[in-house]
Amino acid sequence: MAAVAAPSLHTETKQKRWHDLYPELGTHPLSVDRFTSPTYFERERECIFRRTWLMVAREEEFRKPGDYLMRDLPVANTSLLLVRGKDQRIRAFHNVCSHRLNKLVWNRTGNCQVFSCKFHGWSYNTEGRLTFVPDEDQFFDLNKEHLGLTPVTTDTWEGFVFVNLAPTPQETLPEYLGELGEGLQGYPFSTYAATRYAWRVEVQANWKVVQDAFQETYHVGVLHRRSLPDSFTSKDNPYSHSFAYKLYKNHRRLSAYGNPAHQPTPVEQLAMQFGPSINTRDWVLEELPAGVNPERSPYWSTDANSIFPNLVLIVFHGTYITHQFWPLAADRTLWEARTYYPQPQNVGQRFSQEYSKILTRDIFLEDASTVEATQSVLASGAKQHYTLQDHELLIRHTHKVIDDWIQGSNGHRGVNP
Amino acid sequence: MSERCFPESFKDLEPLAAWALETETARSRKRQASTMAEIQAFYDALLPRMQAVLSYLNRFPPDGLPVQEARLFYLSLALAEVAPAVELFQQPSEPDTYPVEKFIPEHE
Repeated sequence: MAAVAAPSLHTETKQKRWHDLYPELGTHPLSVDRFTSPTYFERERECIFRRTWLMVAREEEFRKPGDYLMRDLPVANTSLLLVRGKDQRIRAFHNVCSHRLNKLVWNRTGNCQVFSCKFHGWSYNTEGRLTFVPDEDQFFDLNKEHLGLTPVTTDTWEGFVFVNLAPTPQETLPEYLGELGEGLQGYPFSTYAATRYAWRVEVQANWKVVQDAFQETYHVGVLHRRSLPDSFTSKDNPYSHSFAYKLYKNHRRLSAYGNPAHQPTPVEQLAMQFGPSINTRDWVLEELPAGVNPERSPYWSTDANSIFPNLVLIVFHGTYITHQFWPLAADRTLWEARTYYPQPQNVGQRFSQEYSKILTRDIFLEDASTVEATQSVLASGAKQHYTLQDHELLIRHTHKVIDDWIQGSNGHRGVNP
Repeated sequence: MSERCFPESFKDLEPLAAWALETETARSRKRQASTMAEIQAFYDALLPRMQAVLSYLNRFPPDGLPVQEARLFYLSLALAEVAPAVELFQQPSEPDTYPVEKFIPEHE
């Protein structure tokens, strides 16, 4: 095989520092109380999770009118009911009965036209209207029109369902997602959502410790040295430097290097005959939307798009991954890892998906191993700071954006530190 | 005579029948509970037959496999489950990795 020239963008990174492009971020170490402090956690809850757009579902989870999804959101002290109405619209409500405030829906998913509270039987339709009150005459001046479920602002982008818990969101979803959202339009998110493999895991770590593990590729050559021996590293790029980083107001992206000389293992070769995996590199540039591999590098493997505050959307050719990190407490997180593939047309394709899925899961297990260990010693007081290098730029940006939301200097009302 | 697990043309794979498990959780448990020698023996026996297995199964609609074909399909998925153990880790799982049983599959 012919020798492969080093990617030009990668060569450039040897000559410049990415941090030079963003001098406002500084290069100082990061203080670690943000990962342990219950006070800081409460500020994140109030200033970020109750005010920003949060991805909570995919459209494919609501196929018919009445299909619903119940999601507890402890970070916002609430539970959500999401339901597709007869008019096909997906609506979100606080999952709270208007009578004595019992949690209305308890099943995680299902199909229902009338949601009846199991306490006294108050009933609501799929549009959230109160339609029936048992023994209604015994109430005083009851106006059912005013006692519907409390709506939550919701909108959809590329099939992802978002909610915003602010009474009046300051930005629409398209405004909030901005340039990053526009650039990803046209990627086949819905086609690949036909087959979703998903895991839930409750980790004993701060949500940002977990999320930061997916915002840099510096760790790939070390932590994943066995699972990814030559996919994202090579002799030319031993530290798996990503070849581009882009910071937006709230969001950020890295474009990761893929080794064109990756040697598939025997089972991987078999799987690749039938479908793509996270190590597949046979993409066609013209088919990628403008916001996927925006630098148009021949060495592109994947983009990790961090959508503030808690979604990392990793797009490959032929498959994508979402990670969500839902804070439960300062040191506990519900991590939802999901991988998406097209509807398999034959058993071979289903086998190739299984190969890619299991490899991906085993890589996630390696990622999970460090985050709990990190949290277990973070609070020791031994170290006051994180030390970050140039290729950990996205982590630095994340914490700057979080601080800005908390302090209100991002155009939003914050809390005085 | 007991019924065969797999279709007639794959009767040589009958000794591997214990790996023909329907769910990711069951296949993962089998991998974790097996010695590396057992995993390697399974891998070595099935891998050379996989082209034939997938060519055969591709003649059926993926969502409507008859019973014996479905078992053969589950067997093939077990190869995907053990592939990282054999090809990357050389052990059922890495000693310091996160416990797989804490990853709760939502797709089952």
